[in-house]
Formats: sequence, structure tokens, C-alpha cells
Amino acid sequence: MDEHALFYRSSLLSRTLVAQQKDQDCPYPLTARIHGSSSLYAGSVSKAASLHWTGERVVSVLLLAMGPAAYYFPGPAVDYSLAAALTLHGHWGIGQVLTDYVHGEPKIKMVNAGLFLLSTVTFAGLCYFNYNDVGICKAVALLWSK
Amino acid sequence: MTFTRQGTCLFRPQFGILCRHAVPMGTTANEEMNTFWAKNNKLNRPMSPHLTIYKWSMPMMMSITHRGTGVGLSGGISAFALLALVLPGNYPYYLDLIHSLSVGPALLSLAKFGIAFPVSYHTLNGIRHLFWDSGKGFKIPEVYRSGYVVIVLSILTSIAAIAYM
Repeated sequence: MDEHALFYRSSLLSRTLVAQQKDQDCPYPLTARIHGSSSLYAGSVSKAASLHWTGERVVSVLLLAMGPAAYYFPGPAVDYSLAAALTLHGHWGIGQVLTDYVHGEPKIKMVNAGLFLLSTVTFAGLCYFNYNDVGICKAVALLWSK
Repeated sequence: MTFTRQGTCLFRPQFGILCRHAVPMGTTANEEMNTFWAKNNKLNRPMSPHLTIYKWSMPMMMSITHRGTGVGLSGGISAFALLALVLPGNYPYYLDLIHSLSVGPALLSLAKFGIAFPVSYHTLNGIRHLFWDSGKGFKIPEVYRSGYVVIVLSILTSIAAIAYM
């Protein structure tokens, strides 16, 4: 059982489609038949969710690359990149947690506003630290040299 | 039956199923979810037991640990950023302050492990997630195998980070 409680009724529909295909000898790949919007659609489907998903993965990979970057090339460039990537990755991550556990329009709006505030303050604080203090890379190095 | 190809569409009405794409839903997934919660909350229905009755599996535990470490790390970063804005004095000052508490090597290593392990685990399990996102490694034995690799490597790299630096 998955503790991330989401369900999509549309997935039931596509499962029916798959079952039908498997019953026949289908010469065409499944992906060629099923696609989102087309001229036969009454309305169009927003790509926002899909782009968000891709954005999340891109930031994750960038953040991964910043590990070795911070180790081998510490300095302001990596400091500020790290501040941005960490904040964005955390913001989107917590956003997913809230989406999973918070229900009801007004509550969702409220917690997301709170998260936005938190992330803004976090980014501001990290940039302030980078500018006025030793910076993220140096801070980690100093912490570990204990 | 329905055979479709880009540009053509043969549709047998008596099957009532699909043409070249799924029947457009009247509501979005979001709307459906909100309706579900609104209805069940309004009727004051209790939730069926789930976490307390289902058998916990390794993938389940690793998944929630990934979430837990993520939330913890994010909270830690936010707390750090907030303190940076609010506290007077600079970072080396506070570091020296902590040094002067003379905590002792055992507790020091424990604290370092407490920071290193969440970073290590979340990073390594994150890579595992990215493999899944590319479509690989979903067979159940693969899930368990990659899971054990993540756990072992997380512990090893955390210990290495403490011992080596």
C-alpha cells in the first residue's frame, strides 16, 4: 500500500484501453494511439503539471551536480547556485507533501501561501549569508573541520 | 474493435469504447479528489485504518524515510537561513561558541552522522528515484536490490564523511 494517497479515475479508463488492445493482435504501438489533445477533443489539456514534473527532475539533477562542484570549486558562483537550487528543490518537495496530505480548497491555498513565504525567506537568508558571511561552501567546510 | 493509427480512426459505436484517444473526462483529477474529500468530510466519515494494519515493507519504509529526510533537511536549511537573517554576529562566531561547549568526540561524531546520513540517504535514494523516472528498475526484486544498495551506501558514505574529513 502506498502511503501517498492519490487516485486517478482517468487511469481506470486507460487500463480498459490496454486490456482491449491486448485481446487483439495489435500491430501498432500503444503510444501511437493514446495522446492528449487533438482536434477531436472538446477542450485542451494544460501542460502545466507535466512541465512542473520535468522541472522538478531537472532541478534534482542540477542539485546533484552541485555536490562535486561545491567540493572542487567552492566560491560565490556555487554558493548562489546552491542557494537557488536547494530552495527550489525544497519548495517543490514540500509542495508535494502538502498536496498529498492537505485537502480542501481553502486549506490548500493557505498552506501553499505559507510555503511560498517560507521559501522566499529561506532564499533571502541564504543569499544574505552568501553575501555578508562566509558563504555555503565555506560554512560546510568549517563545520566539518571541527 | 478499434484499430487506430495516426491520422485514421475506425470506430465501432456498439463497443462504446475509444477512438484514437480516451474519452475526455468531465472533471479533472483535482476536481475529483476535492469532491471525494468534501463529501467524506461533510459526512464525518472516519478513515479506514491503513498504516496501522497493513504489513510494512522495505520499499514503504524507504519511501517514507526519503520523505522524512527531505522534510527534515528542508526544515534545517530554512532554520539556518532564518537564523542567518535574525542573529547578530557571524558564522565563525557561532561555530566557536559551539566548539567552546567541548562536547566530546563521541557526541561530535554522532552529530555529524545526524547531518551526514539524511543528506547521504536522500541523495542516493533520490538517484534511485531518477532511475525510476527514466522507466528502469521497477521489477520487485530490482526494487529491493536497489533499496539495499542505497541503505548500505548511505551508511558507508556517512561513516566515510565522518572519519575522513
